[in-house]
Amino acid sequence: MRLSIVNVSKTFPSVKALDDVSMEFAPGEVHALMGENGAGKSTLLKIVTGLYRPDAGLLKLDGELVEFFSPRDALAAGIGAVHQERNLVPRFSVGENILLEHPPGRRGFIDYGAIYDRARVLLELLDPGIDVRAEVATLSVAQMQIVEIAKALSLNARVLLLDEPTASITDHEAEALFKVIARLKAEGVAIVFVSHKLDEVLTISDRVTVLRDGRVMASGEAIAEMSRRRLVSLMIGREERIADVAGGAKQGKVALELREIATSYGHSGINLRLHEAEILGLYGLVGAGRSELARSIIGDGRITGGAICVGDRPARIRNPNEALRRHRIGYVSEDRKGEGLVLSHSIVSNIAVTIWRRIATRLWLIPPVVERNAVTPQVQRLAIKSFSLDQTVDTLSGGNQQKVSLAKWLAAKTDILLIDEPTVGIDIKTKVELHELIAQIARDGAAVLLISSDMAEMITLADRILVMHNFAVVGEFVNDRIYENGSEAIMSAIHAAEKDRKHLHDRAAIA
Amino acid sequence: MSTTDLAPTPRARFEIAPQLGLAIIVGLLVVVFAWKQPGFVSSFNLFGMGRSLAVDVTVGFSQMAVLATGGMNLAVGSIGVCSVMFAGYLMQDLGLPVPLAFLLAVMLGGLLGWLNGFTIVRSGVNAFIVTLASANLYSGAMLILTKAQPINVLPPIVSSIGSYEILGYASPALVVALVIGLALYVFYRYSVPGKETLMAGANARAASMSGIAVSRSIILAHVLSGVLAGVAGLMVVARVGAAMPAVGGEDWLLPSFLAPVLGGTALAGGFVSVVGTFLGAMLVTVIRSGLLFVNISNFWLQLFLGLFLLAAVLAQRYRGLFRMRLT
Amino acid sequence: MIGFRKFASQEWAGLAAIFVLGSALAAFLSPSFLTEYNIYVMLRSASVELLVAFSQMIVLAIGQMNLAVGALGGLVAVLFGAMLQLLGLPLPLAILIALLIGIVGGFINGLLTTRTGINGFIITLATGSAFTGINLGLTESRPFHGIPVEFVALGDSRWSFVPALLWPPLIVAPLLAIFLYRTKSGRKLLAVGGNMRAAELSGISANAMIIVAHAISGGLAGLAAVLAVSQLGAAQPEIGSTWLLISFAGPIIGGTALAGGYVSILGAMLAVLVIALIENMLVLMKVDPYWVRFALGGLVLVTVGVNRWRAHQMGRN
Repeated sequence: MRLSIVNVSKTFPSVKALDDVSMEFAPGEVHALMGENGAGKSTLLKIVTGLYRPDAGLLKLDGELVEFFSPRDALAAGIGAVHQERNLVPRFSVGENILLEHPPGRRGFIDYGAIYDRARVLLELLDPGIDVRAEVATLSVAQMQIVEIAKALSLNARVLLLDEPTASITDHEAEALFKVIARLKAEGVAIVFVSHKLDEVLTISDRVTVLRDGRVMASGEAIAEMSRRRLVSLMIGREERIADVAGGAKQGKVALELREIATSYGHSGINLRLHEAEILGLYGLVGAGRSELARSIIGDGRITGGAICVGDRPARIRNPNEALRRHRIGYVSEDRKGEGLVLSHSIVSNIAVTIWRRIATRLWLIPPVVERNAVTPQVQRLAIKSFSLDQTVDTLSGGNQQKVSLAKWLAAKTDILLIDEPTVGIDIKTKVELHELIAQIARDGAAVLLISSDMAEMITLADRILVMHNFAVVGEFVNDRIYENGSEAIMSAIHAAEKDRKHLHDRAAIA
Repeated sequence: MSTTDLAPTPRARFEIAPQLGLAIIVGLLVVVFAWKQPGFVSSFNLFGMGRSLAVDVTVGFSQMAVLATGGMNLAVGSIGVCSVMFAGYLMQDLGLPVPLAFLLAVMLGGLLGWLNGFTIVRSGVNAFIVTLASANLYSGAMLILTKAQPINVLPPIVSSIGSYEILGYASPALVVALVIGLALYVFYRYSVPGKETLMAGANARAASMSGIAVSRSIILAHVLSGVLAGVAGLMVVARVGAAMPAVGGEDWLLPSFLAPVLGGTALAGGFVSVVGTFLGAMLVTVIRSGLLFVNISNFWLQLFLGLFLLAAVLAQRYRGLFRMRLT
Repeated sequence: MIGFRKFASQEWAGLAAIFVLGSALAAFLSPSFLTEYNIYVMLRSASVELLVAFSQMIVLAIGQMNLAVGALGGLVAVLFGAMLQLLGLPLPLAILIALLIGIVGGFINGLLTTRTGINGFIITLATGSAFTGINLGLTESRPFHGIPVEFVALGDSRWSFVPALLWPPLIVAPLLAIFLYRTKSGRKLLAVGGNMRAAELSGISANAMIIVAHAISGGLAGLAAVLAVSQLGAAQPEIGSTWLLISFAGPIIGGTALAGGYVSILGAMLAVLVIALIENMLVLMKVDPYWVRFALGGLVLVTVGVNRWRAHQMGRN
């Protein structure tokens, strides 16, 4: 079955997620869908699986117009999806999960024999090693994905969407999954494969579509004609420079130093030096391990080796509370709504939370006037638009919410600020404002570690750039703020790392 | 990013609405009961109502303290009765002076609350199960130790506190409840730990990432809840002039939820209404006393309370929908 | 697969072992434990509790709680008594209507939960209070004693050490097992508890299943109430007032997941038996009956703690 997406657009209150997007997924082909955070992939997947409705444009199956009002409609039309969150009943058997929609049986009773027989037939094609009687909760993530694929096949899915299927499985398991994909392809299933791993995309897909900022950068180009380098540059893009930020002030002493850091997330041998009044960019593709590194620094992940020095003293940071109070480190989370803000609370509370302890009187009381006076300069500095400071944050637009989540760390006046993807999903005007602000923070003397997937942003803001790939630092250079030079340096670092990795991988395969 | 992005719903309006509605309902009920039976507003009845209102309010505050974190405390009644019997033991068997005995009894409440909080934080088991189990542990231990015998021989000052009438119709217990209410209002609105507790209750993850020690907030909430349960128990001791093992227990379960939930405190955590809890408890007290005056047997009380609770949560629910539609 | 079987069997095998060892200990400590009459007494007190545990278990299966189990039981008990004493209805008809009242009460709980989307905890707290209110309002706390003699006698009758009252739970248990493990409706119900999103994507109506679970819970609470009337020989308004803890303790100690999606019927039965054994032992050893509450609270805490720890260990591996 051929799925065509024709001129689809989708706008959210603060951002245009998809802008006149068209592409086509053909039967018997593996079609990779690529793009960085905020490129519009997940919105597209949600439209195709019936979770969202497009504002404009249409979907066609084999040339016939289709409309999905719910995920059930998409399923019924033959579009199966394996999402990152599991859609399985954990304490049910594999077989029962596969046939949950139409379990065989008579007069209201379930016929387990028939379930297992049928499920076995479906799994035979994919992975005969999975026992149809096993409880799903006992399977590995990779096996659960196979079960979900089998479930989709049981509903006669002819288009199969795989959303980052290899994100949390081992290389070995991924190999097995790719064999499954090859078999499905041979059966004539149209496979849409979302992944951030270039290697995989280049090996298993036939075509690739690249999204950036809600627009199609390359639509269904044959992978044979696509180089790794071009793919990266399509994803990263070369926008107009969006803010003109002068180079940093004089750099000061070392504020934060990581020596041979290893973490429970899988980083190893990370070395990093962050100076006062410096913006150090941490660039990498999604999944390179940048946010995880920032989280580990503030004690939200476990450091398993190496040493952290704050200033010139070694530090052991066990949780974000210690990071803020003892070491004066703040982290602006990429997950604004989940961890950056308390949506149901006021703007004042959300900003002042980091300084409550500091502005409190001896009785641990906070006079509202003092709280307001502490918050107001930040609100003005960031030009946060609101009726009142007591307004709850959930009534603000995305851009203003992001400003609030940054404002609390400005209020805290931390010496070190880790800023993670500050402008994802934010309109251009606010983006420029935020860029100027971040530059100002560094000029005022703070040490800033900036994590971003937006190359233009990185090259505009950073004084130095570290390139991260597969949980390791693979390159470092001084940013001269000339786009061509920066993107060239970043791409060759990633490219070299990929090549090394592939080399190692091949060698391992031979051995 | 124009101002049209802003939803035109300043939240404050909706926070006041339920309390105002509740105040009107309470007011109407008082008028109706007083009109049917003038004795309802006699100083004698007002005194009695105030005394039982004090207990209802404090029990409601005790539950509210934990609801603030998004948890619940099924052990409010058990902690209360433990404090009651401990106070009785200290006064009768050890002969401690009344203020010291009361202080120690309240501290026991705090300790039992701390045990709850500590267990919840450390084990990661949900608050419902932990406090259901601890409620029975605490009551069980109390019954084993006291053999379910009341402690009757208390210093006479205890019951004279209970029957003392300020200005003819206010009970000292009510004054205590009002002071506690004021203190809690200040605590949640202006104090660091109070504000932090609410934030941890609204979004534990975001609170933790902003440098709040969430586990500490949860434990503190349970300690506070235990202390308040203890105070409520002592109010009953003063009223009956004895330490009875039948105080509290499961009888406090419903009132403890009624007052805060009627008053608009969110079950999901992150928002409390001290004034609302006070009004919620007033509604309970007025209904309880009023039913007697209009010759409806007190046996129907629970039905009314249940229906009121149901109506209150439904109202809260549809207010929520209304708000969502506006945004 | 084999690993899981072992694990699953261990879940209740542990309880079975505790029961056997506990019985041995009891027999050793008190010669009167292994008498026919004592075992009969123990099983008789377990009969009502088994149904109470099942009543809570079926709601836990969908990931909710039912705080109204006891209140509904009390209401059914007094209405049952009223039907017999005041209306003089024939016994089978009265039993049937009593069960229906239970089902309707549960249905109301389910309907309110699904219609409002409010947490089942607070809904059942409210309806529970309302049920108790109706109960007390109607009876003014006075029991109905006009229960047919043969029905009271039934509550006392036994075959060797097996009380007649044990038969209803013994019949209900396999029926529940067949429903939950073998029928499509039962599987749908558990699927909703296990992963509501997945269930709804597979075309299962979560709301319908939530209502069904509450209705079954109500019916079982009603059945428990009828048994309690027979056991006590009177329709006491206090029936149900002490069911809260046991209703949770049985399923949870027995391995039923609080989060929903998994129940262990055998586990719940063994847990209730262990509890009955503890109660019995304490009585035989002439210990304060108050120890029962204490022990029960402690047992729940320890079990949940151990399960948590085990899950943690499994997560690590």
